[in-house]
Amino acid sequence: MTILVAEDEIIMLKTIELRLKKDGHNVIICQDGREAVKKIEELSPDLVITDMMMPFLSGLEIIGAVKRQVRKKIPIIVLSAMGQENIVLEAFQLGADDYITKPFSPNELSMRVKRYSPQMLNAQL
Amino acid sequence: MPSLLFSFLLEINSYPLLKVMYVFVTLLGILLVCTLAFTIYKRKIDSNKKLWEPDAALLISTAIFYNANDTEYKDAILKNEKLLQKAVFRQYLINEIIIARKDISGSSTLNLKNFYEQLKLNQDSFKKLHNRKWHIKTKGIQELAIMEQNNYQKEIFELANYSNEYVRNEAQCSLVNFYGFQGLEFLNDITYPISEWQQIQLLNKLNSVKPQNFEIIKKWLHSKNEFVVIFALKLAVFYNHYELYDDVVNCLSYKNLQIKLNAVNYLKLNPRENTAALFITDYSFDNKIYKLAILDALKDIGNETEITFLLKQLHNADNDIKIAAAKGLACLHPLGITFFHTHLFADENPWKSIFLQIENDRAA
Repeated sequence: MTILVAEDEIIMLKTIELRLKKDGHNVIICQDGREAVKKIEELSPDLVITDMMMPFLSGLEIIGAVKRQVRKKIPIIVLSAMGQENIVLEAFQLGADDYITKPFSPNELSMRVKRYSPQMLNAQL
Repeated sequence: MPSLLFSFLLEINSYPLLKVMYVFVTLLGILLVCTLAFTIYKRKIDSNKKLWEPDAALLISTAIFYNANDTEYKDAILKNEKLLQKAVFRQYLINEIIIARKDISGSSTLNLKNFYEQLKLNQDSFKKLHNRKWHIKTKGIQELAIMEQNNYQKEIFELANYSNEYVRNEAQCSLVNFYGFQGLEFLNDITYPISEWQQIQLLNKLNSVKPQNFEIIKKWLHSKNEFVVIFALKLAVFYNHYELYDDVVNCLSYKNLQIKLNAVNYLKLNPRENTAALFITDYSFDNKIYKLAILDALKDIGNETEITFLLKQLHNADNDIKIAAAKGLACLHPLGITFFHTHLFADENPWKSIFLQIENDRAA
């Protein structure tokens, strides 16, 4: 699977990248929202993992941008320290498929990502 | 040129205004040089941080997923061997580890802790405890606490009674983080005040699991440090421990208003048959806030026996006392709020306004 990870904190970004690469995924990393949207449009990843608070565009705006593009349905996992109910609900209303609050377990993230693999999605269909 | 400058400097002595200007310009020059030097120094640190960012990210991310067969981690350490000997980089690495530690959970946190210990970064944090500057001491305590370095408990315990409030607070919070309720042992020896905010912080850190032994709270209720007594009263309420009743009653005899108020709060929540009578006996303490607290407590725990006392308070010179007494009567009098209509001064102010207000509040 090709996964785009948008996170402005470089250590978290590298940690998630390493975890996903160990699982055999192809990982595209971005450190700001604008770059993330541009790469989503260019590369059309299979899954997007995004933080909420980022430079230029927030996670919510990225969700909106992903859902607007009709070429492909891209699942989105939000990974954020902001766990307030209203923000979580807004993310789901905009179209997020999962929401993980920090502190998070990288191993748990790995398991959640597996649910969005093409094989798992096909099995559900 | 030098001789001209020398003669100019000689001339300055004879003109006071010029002298002042000369001193001013010199000081300005020194300030500019210092500012420039500091800016260059800060820029150097920032550019170093930018350079170190990928190395630190590699080290920490590989450490988080460490396993014995992993060569990636060992390669990362080897690659950065020289950098790991620089104190400035080590401190930068500690800062980044702390940030990462706050963001992750699960088994990865253990790997991060092992990484921190393996590079002996805990010794860097420990050294800070002996620094003269309070903010560095505090940072050291914070780092050791977040990285769960329990073996430095003794040194942190000593700082729980340090003269600087920030160091004290950080040490106290760390001890409670490490050991829960047991971490409060510093209360046995503390001689400094514990601020209201610090008390809130400590209570927030205590989980809801009750301690097995409440004898220690009894000991704190008799402490010579009145702030410890206040905090012990809050603990008594926090754990809702009924067996501390007699020791809390004893706290009513203190002159300290906060102790008395917290004691009233506990007794209000854990009343016995004689509690209302105790409050009335102690009502003579000359403080309006205390009197209002007692009247408010009587509203909840009193019965018809207290009506005579409350009727007397209805004629207190202070209207706030009148209001509090009226509220108590509305709850305890057999006639409830209809009692107001039977009162001798029901049509006179301020009683008329007070009774009307209470009736409206009840109706709302």
